[in-house]
Amino acid sequence: MEVSLKQHLKYGTCWLSAILLISAIAFGGGFQLNEHGARAMAQGGAFAARASDPSAIYFNPAGLAGQGTSLYFGATFIMPKVSFFGPIKDANDPNIQNETKMVDQTFTPINLYATYAIAPDLNVGFGVMNPYGLGTEWDPNWVGKYITTKIDLSTFYFTPTIAYKITDQLSLGVGANIVTGSVKLSEEKNVINTDTKVTLDMTAKTAYGYNIGVQYKITSDMIFGASYRSSVKIDASGPATFDPNFAVVNVVNDNVSASLELPATAFVGVAYKVMSNLEIEADYQFIGWSSYKELNIKFQNDPTKDVVSPKNYEDTYMIRVGGEYTIDALKLRAGYLYDHSPVPSAYVEPLLPDANRNGINIGAGYQITKALSVDVSYLFLKFDQRKAENTAIQFDGTYNMSANLFGIDLGYSF
Amino acid sequence: MKRYYAIAGSLLATLMLILSGCTDSAPNGPKASLGSVTVNKYVAIGNSLSAGYQSNGLYESAQIYSFPNLIAKQLRTAGAAIGDFQQPIYSDPGTPDAGGVLASRYEIISLNGPVIGPKGLTAGAPTNLALQRPYDNLGIPGAVIYDFLDTTNITTKSTARANPLFSLVLRNQAAFGSSVFNQTKAMHPDLITFWLGNNDVLGFATSGGTSVNAFSGLATPTPADKFAAMYAQALKSLRDSLPNAKILVGTIPDVKAIPFFTTIGPKMAAGIPAAYYLRYQKHGVAGSSNDSTKLTEPGAPLICLTASPYASLLGQPTGAWYRYVAQLKNIPISALYASYHAAGIDTTQPFGFDSHNPFPDALVLDAGEQQTAADAVAAFNATIASVAAANGCAVADMNAFFTMIKTQGGIVANGETFTADYVSGGLFSLDGVHPSSKGAGIVANKFIETMNVKFGMNVPYVDINTLPGIPAPLSKAMAGKSIPVIPSSAFRSLDMLWGN
Repeated sequence: MEVSLKQHLKYGTCWLSAILLISAIAFGGGFQLNEHGARAMAQGGAFAARASDPSAIYFNPAGLAGQGTSLYFGATFIMPKVSFFGPIKDANDPNIQNETKMVDQTFTPINLYATYAIAPDLNVGFGVMNPYGLGTEWDPNWVGKYITTKIDLSTFYFTPTIAYKITDQLSLGVGANIVTGSVKLSEEKNVINTDTKVTLDMTAKTAYGYNIGVQYKITSDMIFGASYRSSVKIDASGPATFDPNFAVVNVVNDNVSASLELPATAFVGVAYKVMSNLEIEADYQFIGWSSYKELNIKFQNDPTKDVVSPKNYEDTYMIRVGGEYTIDALKLRAGYLYDHSPVPSAYVEPLLPDANRNGINIGAGYQITKALSVDVSYLFLKFDQRKAENTAIQFDGTYNMSANLFGIDLGYSF
Repeated sequence: MKRYYAIAGSLLATLMLILSGCTDSAPNGPKASLGSVTVNKYVAIGNSLSAGYQSNGLYESAQIYSFPNLIAKQLRTAGAAIGDFQQPIYSDPGTPDAGGVLASRYEIISLNGPVIGPKGLTAGAPTNLALQRPYDNLGIPGAVIYDFLDTTNITTKSTARANPLFSLVLRNQAAFGSSVFNQTKAMHPDLITFWLGNNDVLGFATSGGTSVNAFSGLATPTPADKFAAMYAQALKSLRDSLPNAKILVGTIPDVKAIPFFTTIGPKMAAGIPAAYYLRYQKHGVAGSSNDSTKLTEPGAPLICLTASPYASLLGQPTGAWYRYVAQLKNIPISALYASYHAAGIDTTQPFGFDSHNPFPDALVLDAGEQQTAADAVAAFNATIASVAAANGCAVADMNAFFTMIKTQGGIVANGETFTADYVSGGLFSLDGVHPSSKGAGIVANKFIETMNVKFGMNVPYVDINTLPGIPAPLSKAMAGKSIPVIPSSAFRSLDMLWGN
């Protein structure tokens, strides 16, 4: 006897297991996260032109205009894999054979979008997203323990949005970003003959930014979208603990503060309806990472401990292409993305090892009922093998990295 | 409908299977190896630096981290069949001071100060005397270049130089060889590190330019021409008897780079009131002196670590220094005062601030003495470079290496920064002259880098993280920025090393 998907879900026998909706942190280009809705994610995240579901709040607020009142929420399940070979003093150093694997962790950024249609041409919306985050963890005794053992960075963007359909072709949207976040860094530090664990646990003061978007229907089959999200300056502070403390050499707990600028980012894209049931899109995304020149950590009571860590990130870009093929209630999706790393070779470090990435996405969506839909996606991120050479921190070596990501989102129309 | 799920599901599973196999392989790179060099025997020739002498003593828990022992371990990893690297181990707490009973080794007695000195522990004893062949580590604390070929009876020599360590290392001249050279030859080494010459200038420098040199008969470093002749003869003998051995020689670091000379001065400078100058004795001056310094101007004299007990006595009407000298010379203080009084010394005057009670010559390396030492180092290194080239030996430029560490403010290893600061810098042990265990690792890596480059080997580097720091009683007391407290008697053993 045939059992429908609805019944599968009801009896919990769905072959795609449920994803935990735990907000945490995740792993992305530089530390940008690109997974903000399983429908877009399955198409390489090429969604700024169409932006035809409430995840428009992230991709292009203009797309919100004309949507029905609905809810769209879910999470992405991210599992990175990193190996470091080294450290090496020069090109002939046999220590290139020394492999250290990063501790496996799973990260779960969430997305939650709601939109209310005030009128057929006017929508308001609210979104909760994690556009920036990262986490890395190494064995506490690994060879790089004096550089890093663990780092967790998370940011939340609360985004009230308003979108208006000016004409049948042109829509405009604008959102305010209310940003909160935190960063926690741990490393070991050698004090004469013993190690102490240093932990900096900083919370950000609420910060603000904005995003705007425009959507233009060039023809009935072709649509153009562009959006921009401003940079946001984060000021974070919190306790610095040394475990153990050694007052005699002034290794004592303190308070630290740091500032960090989350980069501005812009999308431009074009979507084309090849057939009535096939849409494709290509987007170009610019990310202004050159705002991240250094990380400056200040100790309140002991300026001799202050750290100025040069990062020298460069402005960079992403290319995204994807498409959606509809068969009745089922949508099949695929996409590709290329993420160019903002980190120059001399600044690649174990806190956030980075490289150019190629991503292959596939996914599907199913309209369960008229009101309820589900989207699932899978993304495999393959990083180029990355050589950290002549590094500023004098920790050269090679990084092998990849990540598996799963996304699930539920949509509900009122 | 179910068919679509089956197709989608198997597509997804296949894709994931393919993609997860798409991980990179390990990067291409060389494996540890000796290249085309055979190493069945490695011998280290040198002085206290090679012996693993640390913190004013020779003791087992430092000797196991001597740079030659660290190199030996890395050679074994690269496939060298050298077996155990045998050293003249002296059990902890190590060799005795001049009195013969208590260990001379410095420890951090308290980080409050800090207070540094011997802890009054009974000395240890040699534990590797039964070895039926010469030691692989022939580093002899106190050795000068002359000692490489010298065949003098070691008992006579040890007494004459007030340094029993010649006997410890060479043990039995009849059985193992009458000189360091002969004991080296007997072992037929394939690989040799040769680092001598440091003491030919350090004896002069660490005594504040007062120690009399055996070759000049004066208070100077070993004369450059004599050094050149001895060094040339040493390397030629070695090369002639071991035509195929890989020989790696080290240059001599600048004396100013070590914390022995850079620790007390800045702290004393802070204690000189604005209107005052430090009055000090220049080279060879034994009486009153008008020579003045703020200790901070360019060309200022350097203050030896040996000045530690006296630095806090500035401005006091004290004769403490002269009492110490009398004790050293084993003569009554009255006799000493008579001779110094005639030269104009008046210990009722403020010590260090009055020309009649100046800071003593032996505790100061004045500008002239610094230049003498620098000239000697430059001359020695020129000799080392040319003699090494003439004898097919590779040169590990330790002079350039330590200068680089000084000019760039430190050296980084796996995220840890090491500097030449006393105690906190991590590179030097508590006597301010000899490297710590981590410092020895950094020195070993410089030798390994040179042998890899010059001999085409691929010996893996030492992981500095695995080496211990200076033992320290990290407690809850507060650190002061004051002068480290080291009792004067503690320096007798260091004097012994240089034959002062």
